[in-house]
Amino acid sequence: MVYFNGINRTIAMRLHLADYLIIFVYFLFVIAVGFIIKKRIKSSNDFLNSNRSIPLWITSIAFISANLGAQEVLGMVASGAKYGIMTVHFYWVGAIFAMVFLGVFMMPFYYGSKARSVPEYLSMRFDEKTRALNAITFAVMTVFSSGISLYALAKLLEVILHWDFDLCIWLAAGIVMVYTFLGGLTSAVYNEVLQFFLIVLGLSPLVIVALHDAGGWSSIQANLQPELTHAWKYMDKAENNPLGVNFMSLIFGLGFVMSFGYWCTDFLVVQRAMIAKNMSEAQRTPIIAAIPKIFMPLIVVLPGIIAIALMQPALQSKGYAIPMDENGGINYTMTLPSMIAHYYPTGLLGVGITALIASFMSGMAGNVTAFNSVFTYDIYQSYFVKNKSDDHYLTVGKLITLFGILFSIATAYIAASFNNINDFLQLVFSFVNGPLFATFLLGMFWKRTTGHGAFWGLMIGTMAAAATHGLTIAEGKGGWIAPLFEIGSGMGQAFIVAAFSWIANFFSTIVVSLCTKPKPDEELRGLVYSLTEKVYAHETKWYLRAGPLGLILLAITIALNIIFF
Amino acid sequence: MFEKLNELSFVIGVFFIIISLILMAGYFLSPTLHYEINLYTGIGMMVFGIVMVKIKG
Repeated sequence: MVYFNGINRTIAMRLHLADYLIIFVYFLFVIAVGFIIKKRIKSSNDFLNSNRSIPLWITSIAFISANLGAQEVLGMVASGAKYGIMTVHFYWVGAIFAMVFLGVFMMPFYYGSKARSVPEYLSMRFDEKTRALNAITFAVMTVFSSGISLYALAKLLEVILHWDFDLCIWLAAGIVMVYTFLGGLTSAVYNEVLQFFLIVLGLSPLVIVALHDAGGWSSIQANLQPELTHAWKYMDKAENNPLGVNFMSLIFGLGFVMSFGYWCTDFLVVQRAMIAKNMSEAQRTPIIAAIPKIFMPLIVVLPGIIAIALMQPALQSKGYAIPMDENGGINYTMTLPSMIAHYYPTGLLGVGITALIASFMSGMAGNVTAFNSVFTYDIYQSYFVKNKSDDHYLTVGKLITLFGILFSIATAYIAASFNNINDFLQLVFSFVNGPLFATFLLGMFWKRTTGHGAFWGLMIGTMAAAATHGLTIAEGKGGWIAPLFEIGSGMGQAFIVAAFSWIANFFSTIVVSLCTKPKPDEELRGLVYSLTEKVYAHETKWYLRAGPLGLILLAITIALNIIFF
Repeated sequence: MFEKLNELSFVIGVFFIIISLILMAGYFLSPTLHYEINLYTGIGMMVFGIVMVKIKG
């Protein structure tokens, strides 16, 4: 079968009229969604919270799509090429269990408390200083993440299509600004659903033709070293696998601390479940979202494995290779763009490029809408201007959206000027996110936890993360206090930093809580597990309940881990 | 017709039908787009688009 003519095509792609037409149609639709939603926006609650009126299938897809930004798509394909099938741990260990836990155990508190945001839940459960700490760090992180996403999009389009960097920045930001300004969160969520289908349907043909080209999974297994095609078999010792971590670090660092810290506490994703129509649908949102999440490695990990297999001697005749970087090493980040360039002809190339653009814009819009909710409710309304009319907060929400986009653009230019700022910001984010789940776990399941305990636990956990990073070194990074311990890989270092920060937060929160006065029980009803009415039987049919659905998903996840052991 | 624009599934369906028409029309009418993968992807997107237009969401 002939898929294309240019077998020696380089990474530089040349678009034709049909490709541009597809990109144009996509831009037209995302803006049109903003205009369609605009007439529904009557209050700040509509703009910032979608008035809790979004159907289950939309909240579920938006939940997974909010995480399907460019870092996910490009990064996971790159990791698939670098680490092989072990990359699926980010899904089958580092996502599904936490998503089920969120749906079954934590959503009743987020949704039932009627909090409009995760920081607002913290103010109800603990106090204002804990809320302020979480809201400010979250707002800063989201707006910087949005800017980095924008920078990465412009840089990618500049490299592969030779488009003007400035034009890419302003065009992408402008489109996101139009539809988020017009339709707020609902508009962003609706576009996330469109973007999800575009990414899945746009990249599926790539997986099929590339897998066919490589001779199928059995050929890939035959041509790759075994540690790239077994998920667990070589996890006994860190030095035996390309991830550079053993199974204990993986399960605790990724599977517990990082995974639960992200999926169960990050407002960017939790917000998608909090806008569901009712408690039952809010609980099922992350669980329904976990279904495509289980199979997402087929779209974002398998292409990377295929790519590295195609570079093996027996398959080199296929004419594909991942591009090299300036140092002569494999430039894993360019794995997906290079595969699109290699396998997609005119027409489908436009679809593939649009899918990439969609993933960047999805990531940016998700960050901006989460940012404007937290900034408006948890910073502006809570600490600056209280008790104003709803129209006032609607106007502020819209202005904050504009501010968030402009700040993202500024961040993108800062990122373009300082090579290391991305790494630095990611590092700071990991220091803040690592310990967060301990605060929520104790807050929701131990009524003795106090506001002082939560606040100082977060501070100490963050400091522990920074100290662990400063005392360990991996791949030349870290060790800025004293390089006392060497770790096999940066990934392993990230897991260990997360683990130490979580442990420090967990125990310091307990100690400080035991030394301070807790809130009375009547103030904690609906916020703490032992003081909240259980909501097991909202639905009579078992397949509509979060618990049984979650158990089925866990069984499938465990089965997949065994199959690809 | 305009009421249907409020349904996200309808909007998504129309989007994919348009993309599929570009791919399929290109396959039959333009040598630049005459690749089997364009045709098959176009058919797949057309089916998906029609299903999304038909369902109520």
